[in-house]
Amino acid sequence: MPSPAWAQRIDSIPPWSAAVRTIAIDERLAADAGLHVGDMVVLVAEPGRTSGDTVRISAIVQRRADPSEVARSEYRIRMHLGQLQDIIGYGDRVDRYAIATAGGAAADSALRRVNAGAFGFHAYPSREIAVETSKTFAVVSRFHRAIGMITIVASATFLLCIMLLKVDERRRDVAAMRLMGISRATVIRTVMLESSFVALLGSVFGVGLGFVVSAFVNAHYQAVYRTPLRFAIITTGTVTYSVLLSLVLGIGAGALAARRLARTPPLTLFGR
Amino acid sequence: MRFQLAALSLRRHASRTLLAVLGVAVSAAMLLDMVMLATGMRQSFASLLGRNGFTIRVSPRGTLPFDTEATIGQARDAAVAIERIAGVTAVAPVLGTTIHVLGAANPVTAFALGVDPAVQGDYQLLQGQHPTANTLVASDALLHATGASVGDTLDVAVGFDPQLRTYTGRRRVVVSGRARFTYLSADDRAAALQLASVQAMGGADRTDRVSLFMVRTAPNVDPEAARVAIERALPRVTALSTAGAVAEAEHRLSYFRQLAFILGAVSLIVGFLLVTTIVTVSVNERIGEIAIMRAIGVSRAHVVHQIVIEGIGLSLAGAASGLILGVFTAKWLNSILRGFPGLPDAIDFFLFEPNSAFRALALLVASGIAAGIYPAWRAASLPISGTLREEAVG
Amino acid sequence: MSGQPLLVVRDAHRDYPRSGEPVHAVRGVSLDVAQGEYVAIVGPSGCGKSTLLNLLGAIDRPTSGSVSIGGSAVSTLPDKAATRFRLTHIGFVFQRFYLLPVLTAQENVELPMAEAKVPLAERRDRARELLGYVGLEARADHRPAELSGGEQQRVAIARALANRPIVLLADEPTGELDARTGSDVIALFDRLNRDGMTIIVVTHDEKLAGAARRVIHMLDGRVIRDEPLLRRA
Repeated sequence: MPSPAWAQRIDSIPPWSAAVRTIAIDERLAADAGLHVGDMVVLVAEPGRTSGDTVRISAIVQRRADPSEVARSEYRIRMHLGQLQDIIGYGDRVDRYAIATAGGAAADSALRRVNAGAFGFHAYPSREIAVETSKTFAVVSRFHRAIGMITIVASATFLLCIMLLKVDERRRDVAAMRLMGISRATVIRTVMLESSFVALLGSVFGVGLGFVVSAFVNAHYQAVYRTPLRFAIITTGTVTYSVLLSLVLGIGAGALAARRLARTPPLTLFGR
Repeated sequence: MRFQLAALSLRRHASRTLLAVLGVAVSAAMLLDMVMLATGMRQSFASLLGRNGFTIRVSPRGTLPFDTEATIGQARDAAVAIERIAGVTAVAPVLGTTIHVLGAANPVTAFALGVDPAVQGDYQLLQGQHPTANTLVASDALLHATGASVGDTLDVAVGFDPQLRTYTGRRRVVVSGRARFTYLSADDRAAALQLASVQAMGGADRTDRVSLFMVRTAPNVDPEAARVAIERALPRVTALSTAGAVAEAEHRLSYFRQLAFILGAVSLIVGFLLVTTIVTVSVNERIGEIAIMRAIGVSRAHVVHQIVIEGIGLSLAGAASGLILGVFTAKWLNSILRGFPGLPDAIDFFLFEPNSAFRALALLVASGIAAGIYPAWRAASLPISGTLREEAVG
Repeated sequence: MSGQPLLVVRDAHRDYPRSGEPVHAVRGVSLDVAQGEYVAIVGPSGCGKSTLLNLLGAIDRPTSGSVSIGGSAVSTLPDKAATRFRLTHIGFVFQRFYLLPVLTAQENVELPMAEAKVPLAERRDRARELLGYVGLEARADHRPAELSGGEQQRVAIARALANRPIVLLADEPTGELDARTGSDVIALFDRLNRDGMTIIVVTHDEKLAGAARRVIHMLDGRVIRDEPLLRRA
């Protein structure tokens, strides 16, 4: 609907009448304006007008978990269609219809029949509308992926650096092992076993931390934007991808460091 | 000699040093990008809104400019009331609507602004003349879509009723100029006509109505005072100063600012940890050398000095590399975020502000200094004889 | 040689706390060393001779007793002052040379002079002079990895002499060297002593001990015998 309907709370409550119509308001409006179920308000089409439609608040509704509404601060009121048409002088008009069908094939068939027969408007599958209105979130998603890539590069560099350092610290032990006759392959396997264990442990810890952080993120942004929308969702796919990636990075870093160490002659490792 | 020793120590394990510098560089780049993100949105948006000197936007009560299709009625009276307020030097009315360019197989739809060309702040004329009663200026995207150019005549209409397939207003207009629309993206099809033309074509629904007033105040006037005065004079409107608009935008985009803060803090911590680790391991490897230096009479402070210089070297090299890397990654990230639908061309999310950038990098270098102090002091304080004995046995 | 001893140790003890019984590394050692003397401290492994040397060199502090060098009570000096004293009065030579691997031979010799803020030109000249004294002027620009064990030890001796110390302390200076290179080092010590340097060495090497003018025998942290050696003039 194009025009906002304004709600004015009235100080004197008229006697209860069966003819009084009811509206539902969103929880944000209820909280900010101090309105409750049973309160009487006057709806007008434009601010400044004194006469309007006296209604009773019959329900307070939770906002939808709709990403497109997250950043919008306007209030929402729900009322009967005819009532709103009367208030704003819209006549016998609507902005759109939402059509429920019994399954996919029925939806396609209904779409074709509406577009073929209807005069002056066009029907779209809901999915198409969702894609169109999701362009903002597609951008946010790409941004997150980019940040993720940078973080992965940073983590990989850090990991490789640390592995090289830790392995370097033990070069005398490795030198002694090699001088005793223990093969390069065994040395590499030992180091890689260690790095695999650390990578696995790190992955498990990271997944746990991810769950904790996502719970915190959801709690925080739900409070900031006053919405039930979940901002961070951890799926099986996300967990699998993260664990696999950290394992690959950790083991890879260990392998590189181990190869470097195993290739160095033992006496050089002793500093001779 | 301390600098020489520090440089040689870093060169001794070149690949390790290089990796550490790379790690610090990535941390520095991320830190820089997050600082740019935190400052960029605010500055970019404020700069856009403050362009042409308009410090206040007036929209229908409870709405933000062009947030809804609501309009302000009795616009002429409203403009007069605003002009009377002390400090107001100009009032630019704007009426937004959808315009249809007819004639081709499929009409081309565009966003149209009805403006007063004498005081408008919505577009910058690139070629031609400002719109008159039967002319318009168009964006390059609209001209491209219609295949028109300056001087051509277009058949335009507004107020399309899809059921009756009629328009409330239709007229033939000449393209008098090309323009860049300040608050729209380059891809947007847009046109500007005289306010009266748009109001007339819009029929009863648009008569004496505007979507928004842009208000210019005198340089020595506090826009906030003028804003309050406007809302007092016109209870049916909401007046938003540039600062207020920036704050509102920041609230809506607070996620990015918070993300910037968190990632920036994490980058700083990671950079600090990396330098600490490198210095600690490097010091542990040279415990014997450090003990010898102490034995031959090098003071503890000078030993710490030398090791801290190594930490500074790593941090400085990393910060310098990170500055270059950060500028490139910021360009890339900015190009992603500029894909937001309807984002004005003039908005950048990542803005390089030298003071903030160098302060952030200085913080990283300072953390590098701090990172080196503890391991260095610890190593320089070990008992000399015991350390020498252990190193001999080891 | 002057009448006043250069180095005076009185009833020095050094104990190391361990879980259970503390280890008494040095137990009540008293000795005087005159200027220009060449002293060898000998004894079996673990008898406390290296610990005693560390006390003499102000690297370690006695648990009780006193050590003074050139009239300064080094055993009571705070760390900063003891460090400064080591830099300007004592030259130390270690078994494992301990040259800084990233510096050249010349730079290793310059290091103590740089710490003592000797001007660049002066310390370069002196470093060259000292390397010439130990026969390594031609190897001045080589790093330790490019030098043999004997050469590294001679560079270490040159470094110990950099700030003109009043006493040279050496802990097993021939310990890592073969017989021939060890002889070179022994000859160098002999030459230094003939040139007036007071030298105290800790050693297992009979040849090195035999080159000294006085031998102090230690056992279980105590001096059990202190005797001059009759040798050629």
